[in-house]
Amino acid sequence: MSIVTDTYHLFIRALKKLVRNPILLFFSLFQPIIFLVLFTQLFSKFATAGGLFPPGVTYLEYATPGILLQNGFSSALQSGTSIVDELNSGMLQKMLVTPVNRSAILLGRLVTDAFRVVVQSSIILVLAYALGFNVATGAGGIAVMLIVIAFFGLAWSGISLAIGLRTRSAETVFGIGGFMTFPLLFMSTALVPAAVMPTWMSDVSSVNPISFAVNAVRDMSIPNWFVAGDIVSAFVVIAAIAIITLGATLYLFRKVVK
Amino acid sequence: MPEIVKVEDLVEVYSDGTKAVDGVSFGVDEGEFFGFLGPNGAGKSTTIKVLTTLLSKTSGKITIAGFDIEKHGDAIRKIIGVQSQDTTVDPDLTGRENMMLQGHLHLMGGEELKNRVTDLLNLVGLADVADRRAGHYSGGMKKRLDLGSALVHKPKLLFLDEPTTGLDPQSRAAIWEYLSKLNKEEGITIFLTTQYMEEADKLCERLFIIDQGKIVANGTPESLKREVGADSITMTLENGSAASATKEKARQVLGGIPAITKIMESDGGLTVYAKNASLIIADIVRTFDTNGIRLSSVNFASPTLDDVFLLHTGKRIRAEELNTKKTTFQRFGAARRPVRE
Repeated sequence: MSIVTDTYHLFIRALKKLVRNPILLFFSLFQPIIFLVLFTQLFSKFATAGGLFPPGVTYLEYATPGILLQNGFSSALQSGTSIVDELNSGMLQKMLVTPVNRSAILLGRLVTDAFRVVVQSSIILVLAYALGFNVATGAGGIAVMLIVIAFFGLAWSGISLAIGLRTRSAETVFGIGGFMTFPLLFMSTALVPAAVMPTWMSDVSSVNPISFAVNAVRDMSIPNWFVAGDIVSAFVVIAAIAIITLGATLYLFRKVVK
Repeated sequence: MPEIVKVEDLVEVYSDGTKAVDGVSFGVDEGEFFGFLGPNGAGKSTTIKVLTTLLSKTSGKITIAGFDIEKHGDAIRKIIGVQSQDTTVDPDLTGRENMMLQGHLHLMGGEELKNRVTDLLNLVGLADVADRRAGHYSGGMKKRLDLGSALVHKPKLLFLDEPTTGLDPQSRAAIWEYLSKLNKEEGITIFLTTQYMEEADKLCERLFIIDQGKIVANGTPESLKREVGADSITMTLENGSAASATKEKARQVLGGIPAITKIMESDGGLTVYAKNASLIIADIVRTFDTNGIRLSSVNFASPTLDDVFLLHTGKRIRAEELNTKKTTFQRFGAARRPVRE
């Protein structure tokens, strides 16, 4: 099947590019690491003082799942820059005059993005562990966490790919990605529980996709929080976003290809 | 010889209404070295994009190796090799990896691919830098890598869109030699677009000249030159192009010399065509002198493809035209050190 081998070869190519430009990985990890190290310290006393945070949970335990998701989310929003690069450098055209499976070009991109998110999340997890973070459900739980984060990222990378295909401008992709990250992050339960927020904000956060995903991740890490329904709703939300964003990407990609 | 490319009445209209190709028909024989000439924006690259399945045609009928381009794009892509006008290599991969990737996308693999890539790296003279990142290559090296990549899967039909634009004369000569060999020894059909008349003259068995989306002339380089039918005398006038009145006057004076068959504008002066032109140089100089028109240079030449081009398109290929090509997209990130060849 050429779709499998083509995707594989394009994935390997993207991997080489990633390894040979470690500075890019560093830049994407910079922000979550600052959050992990400084934010969790900054807020550590709030979490135990006011009675608004769940009792018996440190702020590090509470916020790490949110930081992991934020990283998956924001690095997915940069995914479109690579397709802009392929388009404008002519690499995409160079591929399109070969018999390469058309879907493999997109699939290779998505597999690479997912892989990248998993690698970055693992680095953050190791760092969080060093600071005292634990995953209550063990290795299986870590796997579920990484899967949720990776798929959550994939669902959003569709937005950035679609913008990239449509505008062919890396600046626009960066701009819109940056513009979306913080409002969505702060109006979710990624960093603080809804009880801390003003009513309007907690209303927003209750329908914010990040809140659904972060619930699923927290269920894995915090002892005795596991609720199967959270995982299901996280995936329902992920699927709904993916259908829209990846649908738009596919549509625009087809227009470019033909 | 059967025709490997058959184009009937190709029309390409862009979404903004520009008619880039306006009813072009031609055929390329199997094994032929075929040249497509034209000034910038004449429709050369657009035609190549359509023929290589990158762009859908607006109307017309195209078959390549017997396959209809609309229905059998995949079959066509298996047998064509393409080098586009803007050199494209992946700067993060080594030269070898760039070629290997092309092979993989053509479903090649194993020892066969490895050996093929090694052979090609030798052939395009990149063997000793094969394992360095292509981002560090010089422009000429990238161009040769791009050409090599287009050959990995042993295409039957090779499309080359201005393969030597921007190269130094030495690299250009090396590529010419190699292309001739490919065509003669391996029987690869080559479809070449170029702005270099010398290149077309040297390499191509048959030429089509396209201007403003239409074919304006075709034939072998010899027959096209014969068609010009006359030698040329190119004159530049003192304070030449600035004084259009002088130019106008010169035109009138030249019109009075019966042997002259055609007068064309050229850079800073005029070009006239005449049989046995060497015999009338004296006449021209004399009449100019009596009319007070001062010449700064007079050049006599037997017909070249440049004259063919000028005759059919009213333009000469100018050096600056070649240099104002689209700049290729600059990758963001660290500047890449060029490697000396």
